[in-house]
Amino acid sequence: MLLTSAELVWLLAGVAKGDQAAFERLYAATRAKLYGVVLRILRRQDLADEVMQETFVKIWTSAAQFDPALSSPITWMVAIARNRAIDIVRKKSEISIEEEPEAMEVAGESPDPMAKRAMTEDLRKLLGCIGKLESERQRMILLAYYHGWSREQLAVKLDKPVNTIKTWLRRSLIEIRECIGS
Amino acid sequence: MIHDEDQDALAAEYVLGTLDPDERAQTQALISVDAGFAALVCQWERRLGDLHAMVDPIEPPQTTWDKIKARISQVAPAAEVRLPEVPPPPPAPEPAPSPPTGQVIDFNRRLNRWRAATASIGALAAALMVFVALAEFMPDGLPGALRPKVPAARLVAVLQRDELAPAFLLTVDTATRTMTVRRVSAGIEPGYSYELWMVSPRLGTPRSLGLVSNDEFTQRPMLASYDPDTINTATYAVSLEPEGGSKTGAPTGPVLWTGKLVEATP
Repeated sequence: MLLTSAELVWLLAGVAKGDQAAFERLYAATRAKLYGVVLRILRRQDLADEVMQETFVKIWTSAAQFDPALSSPITWMVAIARNRAIDIVRKKSEISIEEEPEAMEVAGESPDPMAKRAMTEDLRKLLGCIGKLESERQRMILLAYYHGWSREQLAVKLDKPVNTIKTWLRRSLIEIRECIGS
Repeated sequence: MIHDEDQDALAAEYVLGTLDPDERAQTQALISVDAGFAALVCQWERRLGDLHAMVDPIEPPQTTWDKIKARISQVAPAAEVRLPEVPPPPPAPEPAPSPPTGQVIDFNRRLNRWRAATASIGALAAALMVFVALAEFMPDGLPGALRPKVPAARLVAVLQRDELAPAFLLTVDTATRTMTVRRVSAGIEPGYSYELWMVSPRLGTPRSLGLVSNDEFTQRPMLASYDPDTINTATYAVSLEPEGGSKTGAPTGPVLWTGKLVEATP
């Protein structure tokens, strides 16, 4: 149940004033989206649960820093959650090399096809620009964004040296920036 | 311009998430001390941020909310930090062409930070070589998270002629071998039909996957008879055909849009 951007901005303004009811509504409106994003990256419910807690504590304490002129509320919230998830997944893969990710529980995953989601003009343009990249580089960008894969993981997956991945990432992102034109 | 391409690339990779832990920590430090760099990161979040729209929502456990509620009761509410009516200050303006001494010092500090970053990246190279060797010769020795995964993938192809005009989005669910074609910008041509083709060296000639309906979505289990490898590697194309589709079994009209599947799996 994702509310409109304007409703989320209004709820965030309430949260910034310490309004707990607004915070609860904000959580209800965005929890499934944020959990979907972080679980896809972390692939473990215990870690995803921890990241959700940290994300919403951060939203609670820094809602006043959200600026609707700079980003949409959901993009801002997703960025907080993704950043936290990626920080953890990067450290995890370094520290505990024998750790197996739990099998991901996908029962709660909604079955609606991706193609049927609301598509903003910006998303359409972004997809167009990613689509312009060579197909291996498209995969690289999407795997990095959605799964939070590191350069090393991408190197294994795409069967390329890490240095090649580094170069590809840099060039692809510059191409996307130039294609979007802002 | 003080924020050069290297900094923009760093901001971009930070947002995409591909930096290693050291680089991420350095980047986060840079964000907190350098408003100009923070603005670059913010721009990248705006550029890439909409990708989340393609992620399936998943309900978190009920207990998550209880834990969050318990935790926020112990932290100061946001109001004590800053009032929402006061927008954050705009990013720091570009320095004047002849900066005062203070900024020169700041710039030197920044250079030192970058030297430090470069040194640490160099130090990591050895570790990466070990990693790559491990990946190549004993993939099973890799931690689970680093092993290449074979998820029940959802694949997407953007069928387009130029980058700003994706005409169709083709989504393939590999589990059910169902495809969904979403009409994005292609108009409806009276007296003509759009026909979707699968082109692969494995198949010889292009195979029709049927007409694209005039609705926004066309969903079909058309791919059941093809093996996954062919599905994954084929080029998909849409041609403009006489109403009802090609009579010859091969594309007869102009091929207007093409694209290949990539793994999106959101």
